Amino acid sequence: MIRLTPARLFTVVAIAAAALVAIVLGALATGPAPLSLTEVFRVLVLGEGTDGARDIVLGVRLPRVVLGVLVGAALATAGAVFQALLRNPLADPYVLGVSGGAALAGIAVLALGGVVALPTQSVPLAAFIGGIVATGLLYWVSGGRGGSGPTGLLLTGVVFNAVASAGIVFLASIAGFFEGSRIFLWLIGQLSAVEIDAAGLVGASVLLGLAVACVFARSLNLLALGDESAAELGVPVESHRRILLLATSLMVGAAVSVSGLIGFVGLIVPHALRLLIGSDHRLLVPATALCGAGFLVLSDTLARSLIDGRELPVGAVTALLGGPLFIVLLRRSQSRSRLP
Amino acid sequence: MIAAMQSGSPRQRCARSFAFAFAFAIVFAFGVALGVAPTAAIATADPAPSLPRLVSLNPSLTAIVERLGADEALVGIDDYSARIAPALADRPRVGGLFDPSLEAVMTLRPDRVLLVAGLEQESHGASLRRLGLAVEVFENERYEQVLSNIERIGRMVGQEARAAERIDAIRAMRAAVEHAAAGRARPRTVIVLDRSPLYLVGGETFLDELLAAVGAINLGAEVAKGYPRGSLEWLVAAAPELVLDLSPQVETEGALAFWQRWPSLPAVKSGRVLALDATRVSLPGPDLDRALRELAIAVHGESIEMAIDRALAPRSAP
Amino acid sequence: MKSIAPTAPRSAEGLRFESVTATRGGRTLLHGIDFEVRPGEIVGLAGRNGVGKTTLLQLANGLLAPAAGRVLLGETPVRSLGRRAVARRIALVPQDLHVPFPFRAGELVLMGRAPHQPLVGLDSDADVVRARTALARLGIEDLADRSVETLSGGERQLVLFARALVQDPEHLLLDEPTAFLDLKHRLEVLGEVRRFVSAGGGALVVSHDLTLAARTCDRLVLLGEGEVVAVGRPEDVLTPANLARAFAIDAQIVSGPDGRLIVLPMLGPGEPARD
Repeated sequence: MIRLTPARLFTVVAIAAAALVAIVLGALATGPAPLSLTEVFRVLVLGEGTDGARDIVLGVRLPRVVLGVLVGAALATAGAVFQALLRNPLADPYVLGVSGGAALAGIAVLALGGVVALPTQSVPLAAFIGGIVATGLLYWVSGGRGGSGPTGLLLTGVVFNAVASAGIVFLASIAGFFEGSRIFLWLIGQLSAVEIDAAGLVGASVLLGLAVACVFARSLNLLALGDESAAELGVPVESHRRILLLATSLMVGAAVSVSGLIGFVGLIVPHALRLLIGSDHRLLVPATALCGAGFLVLSDTLARSLIDGRELPVGAVTALLGGPLFIVLLRRSQSRSRLP
Repeated sequence: MIAAMQSGSPRQRCARSFAFAFAFAIVFAFGVALGVAPTAAIATADPAPSLPRLVSLNPSLTAIVERLGADEALVGIDDYSARIAPALADRPRVGGLFDPSLEAVMTLRPDRVLLVAGLEQESHGASLRRLGLAVEVFENERYEQVLSNIERIGRMVGQEARAAERIDAIRAMRAAVEHAAAGRARPRTVIVLDRSPLYLVGGETFLDELLAAVGAINLGAEVAKGYPRGSLEWLVAAAPELVLDLSPQVETEGALAFWQRWPSLPAVKSGRVLALDATRVSLPGPDLDRALRELAIAVHGESIEMAIDRALAPRSAP
Repeated sequence: MKSIAPTAPRSAEGLRFESVTATRGGRTLLHGIDFEVRPGEIVGLAGRNGVGKTTLLQLANGLLAPAAGRVLLGETPVRSLGRRAVARRIALVPQDLHVPFPFRAGELVLMGRAPHQPLVGLDSDADVVRARTALARLGIEDLADRSVETLSGGERQLVLFARALVQDPEHLLLDEPTAFLDLKHRLEVLGEVRRFVSAGGGALVVSHDLTLAARTCDRLVLLGEGEVVAVGRPEDVLTPANLARAFAIDAQIVSGPDGRLIVLPMLGPGEPARD
């Protein structure tokens, strides 16, 4: 009987962490500026190197990599948690419209905050509240208890996303605040070194969310079997679910407030990992966080180095990878639910 | 930024049409309630009979009409025009740059609709033409195009003399700053239109030409033509000696504090990070002479003003 | 280390329904329910479809609150115990479980240990041994590493039964535990239930197979429309009159070769009888 031993947990986490470190180092060494590996090494390890090299590695690439790690970990973990709570392998903060709700609230503060003199620091908070409201609505519409089938839930998400996108554009046009390209970047999602000022707040939110997901990993296993099964096995379903949803919405809100709507990370990463390491959330959650971080940093490195001197939004890369996978998964889940 | 929005790289255009698609649905739904009804009510103010009834959908064109003393002719403007020309704020509005309302324009019964070539506005132009309106399409990416726009609008509103005067002043200023800047150091410069996402002034734009005229090297021209989205890493690696920050954020945050994050930038080391007012510099409108003077001062310091004035003097003396 | 057998001896308390009214979605299903599952006995629960058997099981483990009356474990109302405390003492085997993720059967069985484990942590060696033993007793060790999604209905039922044994409860609640099982596995599962009650536990078993219920249950609760028709030993409960009230059928009850009862539904004219 295969079991989750401390050695297995340690091995998987260590491999995922090593992969993340490798991706981060690769990302720090990659970019349009012609810096040799030696120069990058000198800056990173020896703390020397020319001022220009330091600025590029530590001032441009590092902030973006740090944000990539935080946002990737948050979105992937949130995906795994939503999937367990809603008992739906297709759940993802973006697909469900939770990111959309967070983005709408965040942009509302950005666009209208000047009018009522809100500080920009309230953007992550607003995004968090937006995420919570979207999650709450999702539960309310789906009749709670994750009872409705995958299609109903996904339809709700589609509608949320449409409303959120429309709301974002509407706010932007009445506030006259955003230019078209900036709305576009919020909608497609991107990482920007400039947002590193918010890294402390985002990092704290993500760590809190991750900690909660790890602590309640066993409950996630049981909740994934359904509310009744979980209750029969001693889980105080309502309180655990509330804690998990709050912490996850916080994580998503924080991530969205610095990156906009990056899609499908929460779908791709947990799905691939379940195939590799199984469904036990005590293993899946930490591995998902690490691999989600690695996946987003990798995608962003692609996004900023595919075309010289120009940048693609990372959300375009993740959507191009995640969209087709989503279709395949949806098709498979439909054919399965048709069976008696 | 406003200037940059009128045209741009294909990606920018794609971005805008994406946003536009969403915006269109909303404007369509709310247009009647929010936009059209009040417009129709105000539309009674008529310009003098000698003037054509104009609707301008672009701030730079609005500015030219106003500067030539024909603002009476403007029976409707877009939201962005209203922002850069506060004197016209009470004119009927027909929507934003991306979402002008056809119906609002129709209601104003214009003799001519002025707009700038560009993905969205072109399709608007086509719709307006189908509705039987006379549409005047302008281009304003290049320096000479801006000058010919002034001349053309001058003819349209019967102010040929004032237009010629404006054009002469601009040409004189260009000659003067070129003369004054000759022999001075040519700093490697970037003009930042927006910080995040980073948008730059690229090659083959009027700002690129103005920079060349005042004796600076536009590094943005290396990236692309038009107004490309640049990468921060490229900017840091390009090591500009002068950063001209026209982004909307400079109003609140100032320029130097932001760019100091990358202390290796020569411009930061020497303190040559300057915030400029975008509406005074980057509008392809009637005041390119003012833009030239302000850019020259930004590039070479206040001391160049005397040289410029000296170079201008022989013309204005008699 | 304590005994690791899944059916450890215990000091169980009775599970008692006192004048319970059961409602579902505002509709009263049953009222005046009075019976007790005592340690050491198997109580069968029989009745027509939709009469409220599954609802009774949910009342028994506190998932539902009674509209009136009390469900007591010993002298304590089940609903006043925390979920975790209930889960340590009462285990429910559902008819089936849809698992949307590829959990392995072994993992599902180990989840039965959750109420005994701290919130955070891995499964101890003792937990794993318990799970292995339960799987072995039911003869399904080879399923341990299979994904639950790929199991047949019967295999999944066995795995869920193993999970309940691993939960180490005082009472087992079984919702048609043998519905998807072949004859051999039916007897094996019921044999395990018997072993469990012999060790001091109690069991409440929903069953449609009255003959099998008569053979395995110490007492039967027969439910009719809105009320309990009869409670008692199988030979007292399974009478033609009671069956007519509960199921609206004619039935003969005969003695089998081993002296146990056999329930024979009588087919009237127009019924699907063979010639």
